[in-house]
Amino acid sequence: MSRGQDVFLGIACAAAVATLVSASPIRAQTAQGEPIKIGAVVSLTGPGAGLGQPERNGMLLAEKDVNDKGGVRGRPIKILVEDDGSKADNAKNKAEQLIFDEKVVTILGPSLTASTGAVSAMTNSEGMAELAFTGLGPKIELSYKSLYHLLPPQELNARAMLEYTTKALNSKKIGVLHDTGYGQVVTNALNALKAQYGVEFVAVEKFEVGATDASAQAAKVRAADPDVVFIIATSPVPFRNARQVRISQPIVSAIGSSSYDYVRGMGEFADDIVFPEFLVGEDPLPHQVEFVKKYREAYNALPKNYEAAGWDAVHIIAKAVETAGPDAKREEIAKALRGPYAGVFAAYNFAADDMTGIQLSSYVYSKLVKGAFIRLPFVAK
Amino acid sequence: MTMTLFLQSILAGLTNGFVYGLIGLGIAVVFRGARIINAMQGDFALLGSVVAYVVSTRLGVPMLPAFLTGVLAGGVLGLLVERLLIRPTEKRAGTEDSYLLVTLGGAFAVSAAVLLYFGRDSYVLNGIGGDASVDVLDAAIRVHAVWLIVISSVVVLALKLFYGHTRVGQAMLAASIDVDGSLTIGINVPLMRTLTFVTGGLMGGLAGVLVAPLINIHYEMGLLLTLKGFAAAILGGLISPVGAMFGGVLLGLVESLAVASVSSGYKDVITMVILILIMILMPQGLLGRRGRQGG
Repeated sequence: MSRGQDVFLGIACAAAVATLVSASPIRAQTAQGEPIKIGAVVSLTGPGAGLGQPERNGMLLAEKDVNDKGGVRGRPIKILVEDDGSKADNAKNKAEQLIFDEKVVTILGPSLTASTGAVSAMTNSEGMAELAFTGLGPKIELSYKSLYHLLPPQELNARAMLEYTTKALNSKKIGVLHDTGYGQVVTNALNALKAQYGVEFVAVEKFEVGATDASAQAAKVRAADPDVVFIIATSPVPFRNARQVRISQPIVSAIGSSSYDYVRGMGEFADDIVFPEFLVGEDPLPHQVEFVKKYREAYNALPKNYEAAGWDAVHIIAKAVETAGPDAKREEIAKALRGPYAGVFAAYNFAADDMTGIQLSSYVYSKLVKGAFIRLPFVAK
Repeated sequence: MTMTLFLQSILAGLTNGFVYGLIGLGIAVVFRGARIINAMQGDFALLGSVVAYVVSTRLGVPMLPAFLTGVLAGGVLGLLVERLLIRPTEKRAGTEDSYLLVTLGGAFAVSAAVLLYFGRDSYVLNGIGGDASVDVLDAAIRVHAVWLIVISSVVVLALKLFYGHTRVGQAMLAASIDVDGSLTIGINVPLMRTLTFVTGGLMGGLAGVLVAPLINIHYEMGLLLTLKGFAAAILGGLISPVGAMFGGVLLGLVESLAVASVSSGYKDVITMVILILIMILMPQGLLGRRGRQGG
């Protein structure tokens, strides 16, 4: 073959490749057109930032995921994230802006129960769907027809702790060490269930949120000689104190205490602590693998529960808009949500009475072993 | 109450008490030398702990020099506070409320700066002896907590000697008691005030590097520590560093014994009732009167 023929062949090959690329399915699926606006009010600052920031990360990753796959009926989605500063009045103001100025089709969030109450009164009057990053709160929420919850109620979190304690550890004598904020809420739920599970709380000691030391309270729990110790707090301090005063019993905690931030703070005492949660990034369940992989690529970190909830929130809404149509009214989108959805965080059923539908079977139990989470085989039923 | 529980309560109370006392010590030092209630004392501790953390963990400096760097950082912040906040307020004829507000504003600024540069995560500063603990019969206390108690006690004694037996210490006291009289006898009053804040800052930095291994470094830690230290200083007599340490230890012991003997739910009620009774019976604080007499 002559040199000129070689050159012609090379150019022809390049042109063929260019033609194939330009006709590839990937470019054909790019979302285009007016974006579908979805509002989100979360706590990016203030005491709730530990919840809101992971939720935002999950939502933004999901936004990219949905748009990369062609959007909703060809149109991209746009998540407009606002910070409520962990304050209910701010949450209400931000939601107003999103609903009436930005004309979003739905609201995701807020991160805290009080803020959910403030926003949901408004979304309910507009007939607009709201997917809150909270569990079921005050009873009035049951009267709202389009408020859905992405997180379990505290009663279910308490059940998950008791299920593991009574069935996996076969223990009935429990010592409880909790803070006066999150810990008190979960402890109240535990108290309401103790008779049903036949357990006895041999010691219940509390300390204030932000306490620098809880070793006196931990010592008192130890003195009661429980089989298992529940520690429920948004701080690593009581976990350290418990082991420092020689509490050697297994520790069971709650989902709100399972963050990597707290694990770092526990130091060498991040060991032999069980968490009923929903995602163990180190060993995800099959339906969680894709999300964990994408999160790790995007953020160079492992996701936890609230990131997964953020991811699910966006995909749930995207599916509802896909069903109802991108130009559907807000009420139609809210109606399209009522039904089951198999999420990464949990299996939901938004038609259930508690507007969540999360069951005990969605819980994944993890155990801290020398600072790393491992997934336990136990499944609550 | 078992003997183990009683002992553990005493050890926990001493640990917490010396934490409160260290912060109260700094508040008392500043008040004694400048008659100003410094709402930034806990943030001196926060900065000291942050600097020690950065120097030790991110720059790989050994523990002792890292701790000393943290202490010095507190002193530098004390100097900056006096020059940038206190002096301008004084020039504008500031009142007690003005000084309190300006230092409170400074406290929020330091906390916000730590949040900006380090985020909302907690950081672990390694303590003396790591996480090792000492057994006292069947109770336990961290090795670092033992060192905290020892170092704090030495510092309190050193301060007592400083104020009572050195020219600079006595000049600092004189400058705060009688400004005109001090000027008359040639004491450099502005310099003494600066030294007061530097000393307070050094105390704060020391508190930070000693306390942080027990509680973790967090951007909100400053104000929380200031509140506890303030209670210790008031209890001990705001003008007496020894009194502040004594007040802190008493506060810590009352809290932990209340938990052990009654209930953690009533801890604050019992503690506050006892404190109120003490303040009614001894309004100058436990050692406040002796402090004014130069003790």
